[in-house]
Amino acid sequence: MTPFEVKDCALLTRMSGLPPAFNLRELRERIAVCGENVLFHHFCETTLRGSFDNPDYRNDFAVWSKLYLEDRVLAERLGIMDPYAFPSLGELRAATLEVIDERLGESTTIPWARPGDEFFFMEATTVVFDTGIRISHPRELAASIGAMTGGSLYFHFLEARRRPPFGKDDFTAWLFENNVGQQNDPYVEALARIDFDFHTLPHLRKELVKVLSELEETK
Amino acid sequence: MSTPLGAYEGIVRPAVLRQLRQLGEKLAGTRVVHVNSTREGGGVAEILEWMVPIMRELGLDASWEVIDGNAGFFEVTKAIHNGLQGANVAIPLKGWKTYEDVNAKNFDRLRPILEEADIVFIHDPQPAHLLRLCTGRKGKWIWRAHIDISRPFRPVWKALRSMVEPYDASIFSMAQYAQPLPHPQFLVPPSIDPLSEKNRDLPPAEIEAVRSEYGLDPSRPLLVQISRFDRFKDPVGVIAAYHMVRKVAPVQLVLAGGGATDDPEGKAVLEDVMEAAGSDPDIHVLLLPPDSHKTVNALQRLATIILQKSTREGFGLTVTEGMWKGKPVIGGDVGGIRLQVVNHETGFLVNTPEGAAHRIRYLLSHQDGIDRMGATAKEFVRENFLLTRHIREYLTLMLVTLRDIKANTINV
Repeated sequence: MTPFEVKDCALLTRMSGLPPAFNLRELRERIAVCGENVLFHHFCETTLRGSFDNPDYRNDFAVWSKLYLEDRVLAERLGIMDPYAFPSLGELRAATLEVIDERLGESTTIPWARPGDEFFFMEATTVVFDTGIRISHPRELAASIGAMTGGSLYFHFLEARRRPPFGKDDFTAWLFENNVGQQNDPYVEALARIDFDFHTLPHLRKELVKVLSELEETK
Repeated sequence: MSTPLGAYEGIVRPAVLRQLRQLGEKLAGTRVVHVNSTREGGGVAEILEWMVPIMRELGLDASWEVIDGNAGFFEVTKAIHNGLQGANVAIPLKGWKTYEDVNAKNFDRLRPILEEADIVFIHDPQPAHLLRLCTGRKGKWIWRAHIDISRPFRPVWKALRSMVEPYDASIFSMAQYAQPLPHPQFLVPPSIDPLSEKNRDLPPAEIEAVRSEYGLDPSRPLLVQISRFDRFKDPVGVIAAYHMVRKVAPVQLVLAGGGATDDPEGKAVLEDVMEAAGSDPDIHVLLLPPDSHKTVNALQRLATIILQKSTREGFGLTVTEGMWKGKPVIGGDVGGIRLQVVNHETGFLVNTPEGAAHRIRYLLSHQDGIDRMGATAKEFVRENFLLTRHIREYLTLMLVTLRDIKANTINV
């Protein structure tokens, strides 16, 4: 079995250079032209950033719509968007704009945020490095994941879905590659049952350890 | 005295320290110089006191240099500081000349180390002019703004901006603090040291000693706001909220802070606070000396609920400190408090004394909520606002700056 190489990553956030958005129309205009890195940051990298994970929505656009535009309809529509379900960030952008355009079409006024509540467009650089840690068997997964940083977890279980093989986390991809006689199927199924969109990284770690440990116990 | 990284084992997960050591390995031997204007006192010196030794422990060749200045220089830099925060201050050409001359004098002394450094961090405006003087520099220069310059007095910012623009990058604490600049602007929020006098675990006897010293009743709930006596911290609004709660619950209130004696505005605020407190024996207004870290620590641990009812706030590290003590926080819906306090999760955001009173009463009648939110708050700080996160972001920033400052992903 090929050993699983545990990587780690550290995130550094920076201003994107785009002017902040004060209202929904400005948000739309900026999303239409922002770099894909900006879009990725506000949809996906939020879990690695130092602010309290919003209990309602995972992406910054939905949170801003709810808290500062006070548009709950828009927040709900943006909040359910799964960025990992789109094959490309271009398609994610198009879908986001579609939701906003639909809302603009429904509204008689353009919702505004108060001064100080504007939306700041940011992006980030991820520094990725090899930890030197290797996992040689699926039964080691639970303990290894339990000892990982949030950065490792993000890199292997979330960010991986945007890398080939598209839509798969690194653990699942490794289990498939080494699936002699379908022996890894129970692990794959256990990982697939986790709805990762509703977990902070510490919670996700606990959930992964839980489902994988339960699997070992039932063997 | 510096604290070794190993002392944080047990406070953060082992993986967090392993991550720092691995990032440090990638930067082993990198010559890093921090420059600021004071060795003691103030938030910047407090950060550098732990950051520089930890960088050294991680294998970097880190040093900390302090620029010397005369009274005239510090008068000008105080005016620059106030101007950047929006005060309408007039700095005459003579003042800018003093600023540049003192920087030039310091440059003569620091030239070898600054020219040879791989990375130079210039903290705040006082030494910002050094970059222009260091024409033989080899490394990357980063300007670290610790203050909010979102609404500066334009003439002061215009003058300083010309000095800051040639830097390779700058760092701000929050997106809201930044100004447009022609180089990457990184965001690194501040942090707290869980082993400092203000945040370390205290033996019960030391906590009880503080309770006795200030005559606090152990059988009744205690509300605590720690902050200097400043109108933006709204201490009078806190007393108004206390009065509303006092009608239905036997609470006590501590308003503790410093900084009023040499500040005319602070003195006036303190007078208003004393007037609002009247002769109520359950309102304790404590004017503490600047080194009362252990007292502040104990008061936060004695609190049932921490208040930070600011109407304008920077990052709000007193909120972080309160949360680290496992307490829910009722905070003003402003600045960095919003990054930390989320309704029903770690406390409540409020806009008025009425809102604060409402949330205090809610919590006092839901002890389970106090316990749950306090526990969530502490874990949130552990994950995001301890110095281990702060040093990780500095190490990451150095790797990014030295390799490819505009890349999305860097493999090291």
